[in-house]
Amino acid sequence: MPFNDHYVIIGNGPAGNHAAIILREKDKEAKITIISDECVPYYYKPKLTDFIADEIAKEDLMVSFLDSYKAKDIRIRLGQEVERIDPESKTLFLQHMEKVNYSKLIIASGSRARLLPPMSCYANHLKFVTSYTDVIEVKEEIKKLKSFFIFGGDLVGFKFLRMLNSMDKTVTILICPNAFWPYNLTDDMLAQITESLSKFNADIIVKDDISTIDEQNGSYRVKTQKGIEKNVDMVFSFNGLNPNIEFAKGSGIDIDHGILVNEYLKTNIDGIYACGSCAQIYHPNIRSYTTSIGWPNAVVQGEVAAFNLLGDHKIMESVGRKYFDLEGVKIKTTWWEDIDDES
Amino acid sequence: MKDINIVIEICGSAGEGTISAGEILSRFMSGQGFEIMSFDSYPAEIRGFGKCVAHTRISTSRIYSPGKLADVLIALNDKHSIFQLSTLKENGILIYDSQPVRPHKEDKSVVGWTKPGMISYGIPLNMLAHKATGNARGMNMVALGALAALFYVDKHGFTDSIKARYAKKKQIVIDSNVNSFLEGYSWTKKNIKKIDPYSFKGITSPKQKEKLIINGNQLVAKAALDANLSFYAGYPITPATKIMEILSRELPKHGGILLQTEDEISAIGAVIGAGFGGKRAMTATSGPGFALMTEFTGLSVMAEVPAVIIDSQRAGPSTGMPTKTEQSDFNSAVSGGTGDCPRIVLAPTDTKSCYEATVLALYLAEKYQTLVVLLLDFFLSNSIRNINIPEKPFSEYLDANIAPDKNDLKDYQRYKITKNGISPRAIPGTPGGMFFSTGLEHDASGRPNYSEAGHLEMTQKRFRKFNTVLSEAPAPEISIIDRDEFDIGVISWGSSAGAAHEAAMSAQKKGINASSFSSMMVSPFPEKALIEFADKCKKILIPELNFSGQFANFATQILKRHVERLNFITGRPMASEDILQKMKEM
Repeated sequence: MPFNDHYVIIGNGPAGNHAAIILREKDKEAKITIISDECVPYYYKPKLTDFIADEIAKEDLMVSFLDSYKAKDIRIRLGQEVERIDPESKTLFLQHMEKVNYSKLIIASGSRARLLPPMSCYANHLKFVTSYTDVIEVKEEIKKLKSFFIFGGDLVGFKFLRMLNSMDKTVTILICPNAFWPYNLTDDMLAQITESLSKFNADIIVKDDISTIDEQNGSYRVKTQKGIEKNVDMVFSFNGLNPNIEFAKGSGIDIDHGILVNEYLKTNIDGIYACGSCAQIYHPNIRSYTTSIGWPNAVVQGEVAAFNLLGDHKIMESVGRKYFDLEGVKIKTTWWEDIDDES
Repeated sequence: MKDINIVIEICGSAGEGTISAGEILSRFMSGQGFEIMSFDSYPAEIRGFGKCVAHTRISTSRIYSPGKLADVLIALNDKHSIFQLSTLKENGILIYDSQPVRPHKEDKSVVGWTKPGMISYGIPLNMLAHKATGNARGMNMVALGALAALFYVDKHGFTDSIKARYAKKKQIVIDSNVNSFLEGYSWTKKNIKKIDPYSFKGITSPKQKEKLIINGNQLVAKAALDANLSFYAGYPITPATKIMEILSRELPKHGGILLQTEDEISAIGAVIGAGFGGKRAMTATSGPGFALMTEFTGLSVMAEVPAVIIDSQRAGPSTGMPTKTEQSDFNSAVSGGTGDCPRIVLAPTDTKSCYEATVLALYLAEKYQTLVVLLLDFFLSNSIRNINIPEKPFSEYLDANIAPDKNDLKDYQRYKITKNGISPRAIPGTPGGMFFSTGLEHDASGRPNYSEAGHLEMTQKRFRKFNTVLSEAPAPEISIIDRDEFDIGVISWGSSAGAAHEAAMSAQKKGINASSFSSMMVSPFPEKALIEFADKCKKILIPELNFSGQFANFATQILKRHVERLNFITGRPMASEDILQKMKEM
């Protein structure tokens, strides 16, 4: 073979990084490149709220330090966005108009904050805590400001609420039933969550929705459909995540909500795999596609995708924690599986 | 007051406005009260599209050296900037063109080569320039606009600086540049999420006296004019040409004459001729030109005719690397030429001291009737600083000729043996002041004389003049003087002195007991002061920009002890970071 293989991984989260580690372990000669639109190396997203509150330093947020990529001879291209894929020529087109050729591709591009369609007209008024970039943008501001409005209420949202409480901020939270997408919280769940949150110093609004958000001299007036009005310094949206897959559209890769892969994490195109929260994985038992959530699942998916890219036939099975605790409400990370006991 | 200390590099191809953008940035930051040091590197070739880099260090504190690595790299050209990335800090910021005219092949985009930890901001430089001006010529200003937006720099002040830079151009040129800047500013404010820590917001520098933004060559020319230079002869050569360029314009306004000769040999000949005629005269050249002048320098010494040569060193030997800095003419400046040929050699240690050194050179040449060599280098010649406007020289520095009195003229002896070696010098045309002058060894009257005793007597006289020269020079600069002992003493000369001084101060903060020593006068050298300093130091380090350690060899002969050496021939100025690293390893 005149040239070594070039394995390209789109995404710098747990799935992408663990895929890269397996690829390097199993193929010492191949060229391996991780491309990420984020500017920082592999970091632990669940700790972002701790980072905002200065409970941990930036170094503590990092999972993988720069030296480790060098040691493994993995090239990492940070701050570079993939614009489109051409599977025929096996070429990635980056946003800055550079072409990158690959032999095989793993898409582990993760997710970004989900903006509810009715809120799209207020996108400029909303802040998110989905990425390091989001956090750096608001970290210092949060320390200075007093009042906050939280719209939604997913896992990170509730963690963010706890953080604001610890910082003695004034908080209003409007809990949306579908914030924990793809779940829809039932009335019982909502009641249980509301009860659980009552221990915090926060105004809790349920069974309501945002009507308008108006900016006034740098602060915001939030009106709900039931007529509640709040003047706050910052409005945050926590309504789950959407797969980051715009670059794959039009490439011929099958896409639904995420990138569709079989139980071996392979897409409909040879040599292209997808894993992590950007992928919808076919589950033979339920004969449908599922999206798993959580860090441990992403790690295993990355590893499975890498093994299979190298010729193995591993079937993706969910691992690790089976439940998330949403303020007392247990939610299965792989809800399609018939598992009752928390492992 | 918050502090800032940041190095910004703009990298582009010749013709892309790289150097202009750097100049505007420097001038604006200086106007805001910051200390600045900027340094451009560009290709030697006049034609073509070689790499240009405008390097600017901006600080709220005093700056001693340009800084080795950049905090920010603005890439106007991907091909050149890929190589320039090696000088960007590991956590540095890259500003690049995110929408070039043509797609890049793999690995042909600068952002593709950023290392993990670097932050990259993609700005559509080309597209915004076209939007503002209809062509790509405003890319440099778009980039400055992006920089201003990212770092919260005063937009209005910046546009004023751009207007001032192009004030003599047509209005359409001014508008194009300002519009390009504003396009870059607005787009960046709207589209870029800033994640780097740099900000000029809230940073104010105390109001300072009016500053002069100037490089070494400009300051040499200014000093020469202020010190009554009346004749200049020269042949253009990088990096000294700018001196001649300025003087060609300004010297005639001051009643002087500038002569462009056919080569360097003619130039020094003309300078010695003018000096013989009583004019303050000088030439400026670089290593290859100095080599040509060497034979003639002996005449200046032997005939005791004032002559000043500015040698702005560049990487050699031969034609070498014309646009790269080096300190490799030390040997030829101090001891080049034939015979026992004592001369005064001055090596300014920073931009500001170029003024003082030039005034001193013209004064000493005239007073001591000899050759004075002023050693600049590419970095000193071209690096721009904002300095306080220098005070004009005192009157005694403007006319230093020791003229013969009536008694001397009764039986005038041009080369009269005196206690201090200086003989009264009659300017041709002085009644009773006729004399012989020759490059041959001579007696007191100037007539050729080859006797053993005569040669010895005259050689002693020529050397004796230097016994008092040191008292005329500024005292050596020592960073810390109130201690009896240092672990490391850093001895440096010329343009490396700033980096050495900065390294010694940084070392102190890191627990290394260090001090630095440098002297503008390198021939004759203040040996006593050097020995006194070295005796306090357990170890000696001599950093310099040449391969063989020319100054270290010289200093070792004085100190008669081992010295550690640190030599670079990278073509870049000395970096304090490298000196500090060496100190840690010692």
